Amino acid sequence: METLTVPATLDALAHISAFITDATTRAGLDEHAAWQVQLAVDEAATNIIQHGYPAETPGNIDLAWHIAGGDLIVTLRDQGQRFTPEHVPAPDITSPLEERQAGGLGIYLMGQLMDSVKYEFDPVQGNILTLTKQIALPTATQVFELAGRLDAVSTQQAIAQVSAAIAAGTRHILLDLARVTFLSSSGMRALLLVRKELLAREGGELRLCSLQPQVREVFTLTGFTQLFALHQTREEALRAFGQSSA
Amino acid sequence: MDVSHKKFNRVDLLTLEGRMDAASAPQLKQHIDALFEQGRYRIVLDLAKLDYIASPGLRVLIEARKRARDRKLTDIEGGDVRIANLPPRIKEVFDLTGFTSLFEIYNDTLDAVGSF
Repeated sequence: METLTVPATLDALAHISAFITDATTRAGLDEHAAWQVQLAVDEAATNIIQHGYPAETPGNIDLAWHIAGGDLIVTLRDQGQRFTPEHVPAPDITSPLEERQAGGLGIYLMGQLMDSVKYEFDPVQGNILTLTKQIALPTATQVFELAGRLDAVSTQQAIAQVSAAIAAGTRHILLDLARVTFLSSSGMRALLLVRKELLAREGGELRLCSLQPQVREVFTLTGFTQLFALHQTREEALRAFGQSSA
Repeated sequence: MDVSHKKFNRVDLLTLEGRMDAASAPQLKQHIDALFEQGRYRIVLDLAKLDYIASPGLRVLIEARKRARDRKLTDIEGGDVRIANLPPRIKEVFDLTGFTSLFEIYNDTLDAVGSF
């Protein structure tokens, strides 16, 4: 667990931002998720600074973050006035300008940006706010080009790289078979094993593209056209990822 | 956040650059208040180089537009605060908070200035 204690003043916001940038980088969040956490924590800290403590006697904010169960968890603790979220009305974000209130937007944004927001009060520790963000699996697509005759041995070699990518967290895999001239039944078995390996993982998708006619025929004869997502072109296959299960 | 000012005949253009959070939002408020004090209520905010906005920044925007629109000027139209350019991150905050429908937003700075 990493921790940071700062005085509850506006000058501290920059330190908090740097602390959270470190957290989101080390948690491996993508740029968008990192920004969401950054903004949610900024809003939380701003509320403590502006409403938690009397302006003339600001106390501290204790921040901490850790990673657990695939989540990045950030907590903010303060000894200021007890915070009761029920007392803050949800902002009406549809009313016209004349009736629009600018208050309550920070708390509202936190709820929109994080997967969960939890307020607790402890007589000793004070207000404890816990913000949780799921760490998404990498969804980048990796393309592998296979070539030549795919028999037992050559397919195994080609597939070893794919297996390594799956183990490293890649969930979208495209096999480009444009230069494959022959596919043996043992080559087909190896493809089935990769499919099984990938589909066992949440969000896993395997797609194949650019099959030569004689290779496509092997899929048709064996009935495996049903088991694999086959695409005419690489572009078509890349567009299909994330659209539906494959 | 940096705020730079360009004065046109009937309109003032404020260009914001960097982060607008609770620490920096008062800077924008000061600029806008100064213009209001000079009786200049037609303002374009260029957000093309604004990387980040948090709710204290939103508050300054909404209060500025309310005050500007309350002014009935002698010309055909009254005062207003209009926005030019909305980078993706800023647009996302605007969309989440329902601000997109609260402002006149232009994709081009000169269009925004010329809209008055």
